[in-house]
Amino acid sequence: MDEDTEIMRARDFWGALVLMGLSLFFLWRTMDIPLWGGNRAGVSSAAWYNSAAIVPLGIFLALLALSITLLVISIRAGGAQRALTAVGIGWNTAEAVRFSAIGVILFFFIVGLVPRVDFVLSSGLLITALTFGFHQGLRHRMGLAAGAVAFCGSYALVMHLPQSEWAAHDDDWVTLIVWVALTVVMLRRAGGDRVLKAVPYIAVIAPLVLVSAMAFGFRQNVPNRGGLLFKQIEYHYYVTIRPIWRS
Amino acid sequence: MDFVLTQLSGFAGAFTDLALDPLTYAYLIVSVFLGITFGALPGLTATLAVTILTGFFGNKIPLDYSLIALLGAYVGAIYGGSYPAILLNIPGTAASAATAMDGHPLAKAGRGGEALGLTTTASFIGTLIGTIALLVFVWLLLLLSKNIASPEKALLALFGILLSGTLMSEDLVIKGWIAGLIGLAMAMVGLDPLLSEPRYTFGWSYLLSGFQVVPVLMGAFAVPQIIEGMRHMNAGQVIQPMGRILPNMAAIRRYMPTIARSGVIGTGVGALPGVGEDVAGWVSYGVGKSVSKEGSKFGKGSLEGLLSSETANNACIGGALIPLLVLGIPGSPPAAALMGAFKINNIIPGPTIDPEIILRVVAIMVLASFTMFIMGLFTARVFIRILRLPQVVFLPIVMVLTTIGSFSVGGGINDLYLMLGVGFAAYFMNLLKIPIAPLVIGVILGGLFDETFRRSLLISGGDLSVFALRPVAAILLGLNVALVLSQVPVVKRTYMKLSGRTG
Repeated sequence: MDEDTEIMRARDFWGALVLMGLSLFFLWRTMDIPLWGGNRAGVSSAAWYNSAAIVPLGIFLALLALSITLLVISIRAGGAQRALTAVGIGWNTAEAVRFSAIGVILFFFIVGLVPRVDFVLSSGLLITALTFGFHQGLRHRMGLAAGAVAFCGSYALVMHLPQSEWAAHDDDWVTLIVWVALTVVMLRRAGGDRVLKAVPYIAVIAPLVLVSAMAFGFRQNVPNRGGLLFKQIEYHYYVTIRPIWRS
Repeated sequence: MDFVLTQLSGFAGAFTDLALDPLTYAYLIVSVFLGITFGALPGLTATLAVTILTGFFGNKIPLDYSLIALLGAYVGAIYGGSYPAILLNIPGTAASAATAMDGHPLAKAGRGGEALGLTTTASFIGTLIGTIALLVFVWLLLLLSKNIASPEKALLALFGILLSGTLMSEDLVIKGWIAGLIGLAMAMVGLDPLLSEPRYTFGWSYLLSGFQVVPVLMGAFAVPQIIEGMRHMNAGQVIQPMGRILPNMAAIRRYMPTIARSGVIGTGVGALPGVGEDVAGWVSYGVGKSVSKEGSKFGKGSLEGLLSSETANNACIGGALIPLLVLGIPGSPPAAALMGAFKINNIIPGPTIDPEIILRVVAIMVLASFTMFIMGLFTARVFIRILRLPQVVFLPIVMVLTTIGSFSVGGGINDLYLMLGVGFAAYFMNLLKIPIAPLVIGVILGGLFDETFRRSLLISGGDLSVFALRPVAAILLGLNVALVLSQVPVVKRTYMKLSGRTG
């Protein structure tokens, strides 16, 4: 067996355990759905074949059986022995740091920033952070980029958790300041790197064009319509620009 | 004869309607350009192109234009993958992996322009072969599919999930089945289709309507791609093609039998549920290598090898649309994304689909292939320039596109949470070599399977023989059982022994 297959079997060991856990959990949850003798809104679901539980029950039993099969294959191939070492599952520190940094950035962008902060500002910060953090593959830059997004995201989350506070603008200002600061740091370290020098333009133009196209071209909902910048864009689109061709 | 004439006149009507509308060309040019760009950029895929455009165009413009945008991007992206395959030796999409085998040696030998000209022509002819097959077979199958009822539909959905799981697995086949089952399980969330019984909603009202297709597609295909692609990479050296990029007509004439064979293989592979353009390319390449007199030259810059893979991967598009339109089972991962677009437009592909839509799809495919051909020949230099862009520049923009596309489809911020959750799960599934396409097909077909399986039992009063006594159902049941048994080691060994004895 080659090295890649051995690593895969070690990963399979953990994968099978997780799948078994999930199958058992959802089988237990399936027990909440009436399988025999249920009655919903006057409709009898007394027969097993009429139950809403019958198909999920089959799916999770099959999933459990396949997970056990995967576990057996993994153990027979020596996966269990290798599974307890980081090397065994082919996971090294550099990859763990890279994945964690991206995970933090995406989590705080989606959960913290998008609902609460102006979309142009949050997307600009995301583009700057991802490109600056991962272009050269330097670990300290990944940390700085992840820290910048995590700071803005957690500020927005902590200060304005409930939906009723999502229209507040202080988190927009914090994001703008951090974005500008990160851009300055990036440009200072850019040297002759053409990619990093182009990032500020891309980070402003791309979200601006996308959000405007979606809101005014396709007339669709966009995140955080009351955001610091978008509110102004929307106002001037309807009050200043649109009347020009309307009249 | 009447059938053929009716088909042709219907197609001519749909084609004329579209060809006379100036907006058709606007959407075609933009979408084919975007498709080729997505295909040409290593790290972006055809599935991602169709998925992202579904978020943008899926339900925001009239259906015809929406289909033009999505099919144009699909055709363009499969073709676009050949640029980096030939000039960088990096396939832009998995579909072009076999193209790199002969395309790159040709480019290194100073014949890059000729190779690009040939792939453009082969892709064009391949798309047309697939489209003709779509026009013919979709109707024959539609006539047959009128006789299928709930038991057959349930077994077909199950067969689609199992077959895609079997064929898409890079590692163990059971991993493909696990992916399909996870997809099916995800489709169980929400109110059940017959009794409106809430399932696995955990008190969250958003989940009552189940998992929405577009955020699942975005999460499954875009987020893992972004996580995987955000790393430092040395961009390879782009080999500049010498001379003009024009089709070598002498080579096209000489290898026409190869092109025709590859087109048929590509269409056939595409028609298998869940099996994509990459498999079509490799199968056709393998067949070409074994039957060609020049088989020994394959992998060393053979024009025949190049044409074998590149014709097949584009022919696969038409093939992949056959099961999608006739049975509601996507023939490839991009077709699964396309099905998402149908769903959000409240169109249910399958035996009950409006025949007009099929004719328009065929007409759009023809127009898209012509657009791709013209753009491939006249704007190739633009796409060659795009190859120099590093992934870390365009992937963050893809993340922004994915976010706004997923948000605007309807579910708002909750769709984004779903997208992120599915995305992280899909990334770990990639690490475990559990294929993603069967999961997406499971999510799409899960509702159909649940409803038709239970309806069959309801009608038969719980008698399971309803899945075995009807002729078509019996065949489908046999196929499902055979597919599962064919992967059981004991059965495999017995079969090998028996076939060895008789052989």
